[in-house]
Amino acid sequence: MTRQQLTRKQIHNILLSAFVCAAALCAANPAGAQSAKQSYSTMAPLEEYLMDRNAEIALARSAAPESISRDAEVLVLGRHGFETAVKGKNGFVCIVERGWTAAADPDFWNAKVRVPICDNAAAARSYLLRSMKTTELVLAGRTKAQVEESVAAAVKKKELPPMEPGAMCYMMSKQGYGGDSAPHWPSHVMFFYSKMDAASWGANLPGSPVMAVNDDELTEFAIGVQRWSDGTENR
Amino acid sequence: MKRNQTHKVILSAFALAAAVGAPNAAPAQDGKQPYSTMAPVEQYLMDRDAEIALARSAAPEAISRDASVMVLTRHGYETAVQGTNGWVCWVGRGWMAMFDHPEFWNPKVRAADCVNPPAARSVLPYAYKRTELLLAGHSKLEVIAAMKEAIEKRELPALEQGTVSYMMSKGSYLTDSGDHNAPHLMFFQTDKNDGRWGANLANSPVLAVNYWYISADLYPQLKSFPAMSVFLILVGQWSDGTPADKHRE
Repeated sequence: MTRQQLTRKQIHNILLSAFVCAAALCAANPAGAQSAKQSYSTMAPLEEYLMDRNAEIALARSAAPESISRDAEVLVLGRHGFETAVKGKNGFVCIVERGWTAAADPDFWNAKVRVPICDNAAAARSYLLRSMKTTELVLAGRTKAQVEESVAAAVKKKELPPMEPGAMCYMMSKQGYGGDSAPHWPSHVMFFYSKMDAASWGANLPGSPVMAVNDDELTEFAIGVQRWSDGTENR
Repeated sequence: MKRNQTHKVILSAFALAAAVGAPNAAPAQDGKQPYSTMAPVEQYLMDRDAEIALARSAAPEAISRDASVMVLTRHGYETAVQGTNGWVCWVGRGWMAMFDHPEFWNPKVRAADCVNPPAARSVLPYAYKRTELLLAGHSKLEVIAAMKEAIEKRELPALEQGTVSYMMSKGSYLTDSGDHNAPHLMFFQTDKNDGRWGANLANSPVLAVNYWYISADLYPQLKSFPAMSVFLILVGQWSDGTPADKHRE
């Protein structure tokens, strides 16, 4: 298993068990983990990953409160990668991630996965580029292993930049679909660092509200929040 | 508690100990600010063991049990417990709020806080310096001047990346306003732009304030200080794992 695979699986597990339940943010469907019987071993027909353009814009924007997302740039998935659908003016960029960047390993090719995310400007210039690169490789017909190898190599060669200071994102949408084992992700914000020790934020310790996943090049911290992007309570 | 109230409490709240705050304290009925001068120093001090326990309660035990603990004395903070994980727990007093905060001298404020190693190295020195100068009897203007000099001489460090502070104690008293307390995390950034994190916007879970002042009108010298913003995110539980809502009931 590559580090990237491990990371995705860790994110999935943490958000499901620790983050979701320990932080009393139980929005996920615990039963889903047991009922996930369908396997997604290969890419589905491309059309299954695509969405109606207006619906995708609306879903992407739902990742953050309207006060943020209304002025954000919005990207939608095209046949070759993400493309700009709405130009923004506040530096935030909202997209709907698919299984290959946002779900656990078993849902990598799950065509139903839709995970809205709004990156701030610092994350858009660093973290988002990895998602876009992954997506382009996937849509160009690369296998999962090839994609992960290419992205890891691009990071190592600095073709993909390190995380910028202050890079963070909102994932507060009530909608979306995280995959068969984690259908509904809890409302949370995330922070991105290059090579940060998870322990330096007290993450993943009993009682800590901070969850983290770590690999050689990227540390992601997740903190549950109490509201959805529309202001309603997340419990 | 309504969301607006919560925001108000927190904004005034924990500006109060290490950073965050907003002018929320109501003036007394005679129109004077209730905390215009320093109270007798005894009112700011605590029993040493109680202060250690309160300081540790800022973070889950998994973090605070191995942290260093600082306690306040008549001359400043001193190490009461030497830790092993790089974290430092302490109890902030009212004067850790912005210099123009109306509860700056509120002797009831007890803001339990555990900071991670980058914050311990690059935020706490400012808190210690401010405390020592104030306890030595210097005026706010003198303190500001002395801190400016210390910054210019690089006796005070630049802010590190990745600072975080846990303020999840049930026992804190952050402000006279509202419920006086709410569990939250704080992050320090060298940034004047709240919009960078989408802070303080409608329905945003992120709040932000200036570390040094609410308005620079009263102490314009602070405008020349290194930019430092404090970002704050409410969390749903206290350090002991109980849901925050239960505490409010």
